[in-house]
Amino acid sequence: MDALVAQYSQPSHSAQDTTLDDSLALSSKIAPPLSLNFELPPIDSHSAWLRAMTDDHSNPQCPIKIAHGTTTLAFRFKGGIIVATDSRATAGNWIASQTVKKVIEINSCLLGTMAGGAADCQYWLAYLGMMCRLHELRHKRRISVAAASKILANLVYSYKGMGLSMGTMCAGVTPTEGPALYYVDNDGTRLAGNMFCVGSGQTFAYGVLDAEYKYEMEEDEALELGKRSILAATHRDAFSGGFINLYHVKEEGWVKHGFMDTNPIFWKTKLEKGEFSNVTSKLE
Amino acid sequence: MRGATILKANEDKTRQLNKHTLMAYVGEAGDTIQFAEYIQANIQLYSMRNSTDLTPSETSSFVRTELARSLRSRSPYTVNLLLGGFDPRTSKPELYWIDYLASCAPVPYAAHGYAQYYCLSILDKHHHPDISLEQGMKILRMCTDELKRRLPIDFKGVVVKVVDGEGIREVEYEDGGQVLAP
Amino acid sequence: MASGYDRALSVFSPDGHVFQVEYALEAVKRGTCAVGVKGSDIVVLGCEKRSAMKLQDTRITPSKISLVDTHVCLAFAGLNADARILVDKARIEAQSHRLTVEDPVTVEYITKHIAGVQQRYTQSGGVRPFGISTLVVGFDPGTKVPRLYQTEPSGIYSAWKANAIGRSSKTVREFLERNHKDDLSRPDTIELAIKSLLEVVQTGAKNIEIAIMAPGKEVEMLAGEEIEKIVEKINSDKDAEANTRRAGRGGGGTAQGGEQVLASRPAGEGGAE
Repeated sequence: MDALVAQYSQPSHSAQDTTLDDSLALSSKIAPPLSLNFELPPIDSHSAWLRAMTDDHSNPQCPIKIAHGTTTLAFRFKGGIIVATDSRATAGNWIASQTVKKVIEINSCLLGTMAGGAADCQYWLAYLGMMCRLHELRHKRRISVAAASKILANLVYSYKGMGLSMGTMCAGVTPTEGPALYYVDNDGTRLAGNMFCVGSGQTFAYGVLDAEYKYEMEEDEALELGKRSILAATHRDAFSGGFINLYHVKEEGWVKHGFMDTNPIFWKTKLEKGEFSNVTSKLE
Repeated sequence: MRGATILKANEDKTRQLNKHTLMAYVGEAGDTIQFAEYIQANIQLYSMRNSTDLTPSETSSFVRTELARSLRSRSPYTVNLLLGGFDPRTSKPELYWIDYLASCAPVPYAAHGYAQYYCLSILDKHHHPDISLEQGMKILRMCTDELKRRLPIDFKGVVVKVVDGEGIREVEYEDGGQVLAP
Repeated sequence: MASGYDRALSVFSPDGHVFQVEYALEAVKRGTCAVGVKGSDIVVLGCEKRSAMKLQDTRITPSKISLVDTHVCLAFAGLNADARILVDKARIEAQSHRLTVEDPVTVEYITKHIAGVQQRYTQSGGVRPFGISTLVVGFDPGTKVPRLYQTEPSGIYSAWKANAIGRSSKTVREFLERNHKDDLSRPDTIELAIKSLLEVVQTGAKNIEIAIMAPGKEVEMLAGEEIEKIVEKINSDKDAEANTRRAGRGGGGTAQGGEQVLASRPAGEGGAE
């Protein structure tokens, strides 16, 4: 017994090696690292290698084709935030899917949107969802949109130059901030704002949105504008299309307003409102 | 700005470091805010620890050291800075020009990027050490007008902040409309 | 005997004690007293200042009350040198929190962090627990509700309306228990803090330090003269009370008078615990 006690009660300096390690291990367990650790390929420059493997534009024979083209938009108005996306996933010139969910439901009050690499967005927004839930458990209150977007921004910043490809928006309503909208992209930019469009079809969406956007819009107007902006992009951008995914974020949480096929909406818009007049509906 | 689209026109590209020091930043997206907020946190931590603020010259020295350290690391920050401050001990305003290569120089007026080519000659001609705030704003207007007139890239709005003995405040700066080259 | 169980920190005694942690609590009891009192819209920290030596420069000797962030203040009792380390860890966490979450810390969050650090030092090898208890006060960003928390060397933390730590903290806490009311006004809160400290500080105003926090404002360290004034007021009130009591006793009601004396001056005059 005494021998046992003596073993543990030796002067601290003689046991330093082990104890230092112990305290290190302990502290690393208490404060988790910023993100999970990945095994990285044994290559000098990750970004250059990735570009060589994936850049469809300069090398159509590239072995990996990343799902890229997209239109997503979100804007703030007096009744909350409208979030709308298309649903097409393309890999090079190939349409890989027409029914992708590009709005990611992080929790009942927070939405994220996907543009860029589908895998990167899906994985890291799921990871963000996990961090938000942990924040909720640790702090006993829901995470602010500012904090959630910053978790993502810091995360992608730590992988800067290593080939992550994502342009995402975080939209949510919290009691402290009200409706809040943030844009985060893979080079670490993080912006708060009233309106963002992201993806290959962004310019087309901006065109419609900028012209008719007013902060004081009514809810139905805002939903219609979001839908129409995505429609404009799906019509002009080859890499956007499929279905319009429409959400409204309010104080009580987000509400889904449908996953709508663009095709009938396009014809309805053309025939009933007389828009898209460059497209003919007659055969002569 | 990302690609060819303006995402936000009125982003505040400054951070207040302490009561009387302000840092403006330009450079690589992501790097700028990460670096500026890192500096801000450390300067504020210094104030908390020592219950006194670093003077602008001390701050500039710290910022420069951090940039120099970063420059020799695997992933340097690509950030150019202007550091403006008011030293309450000497009651004098100070301005430091700092670039991403960790050069730091105390200067009476400064600019980064293309603006240098257009504005510095104006400042050289019109700046005097003892001008009033009003005269200073007038010179600033000459600078922004010249940029509108001659810079091929159209810039969207400026944020103007004044640093003096009372601290830091943002001032209204009207757009002033279109300026055409004659 | 406790043969060896009290030497290595990470070893339990057979009856479930970690002696080093309990010794740390002893160090706290020997430290100068600190009190925290919540009012309806402010929160006050009061500290007993050790009497200075003749040649000591009290003006620049570090205070026992330190600012963790602009809206959170901390007072401690116990080993001064340990406190410096802990306060610094708290300050770094406060700034780091601002940096990563863009919000200042809540008082509970930083308290939990401080307690977490203290706990870590009761379970790691080659370290010694912090010989301090702390009182953490302040306001959560954007709110007007005063907060007061206490942490202990073991890593326990708890919320209070008013509390005392350090030398004779039991006496002071009992005093606070008897005199604290909800919705104290600003002057009443400050007065209660000073009054409770006077239970253990014999030397009066010059050995008392007071910090006041109000929502959205910077911390206010009460000037020496101000404290002096309040101490004088407390003393004159006390004298007046004693006079009326004496007069009352002359009137005949002796038994009642005796009770009153007990009620206002209980539990030995600030004796050591």
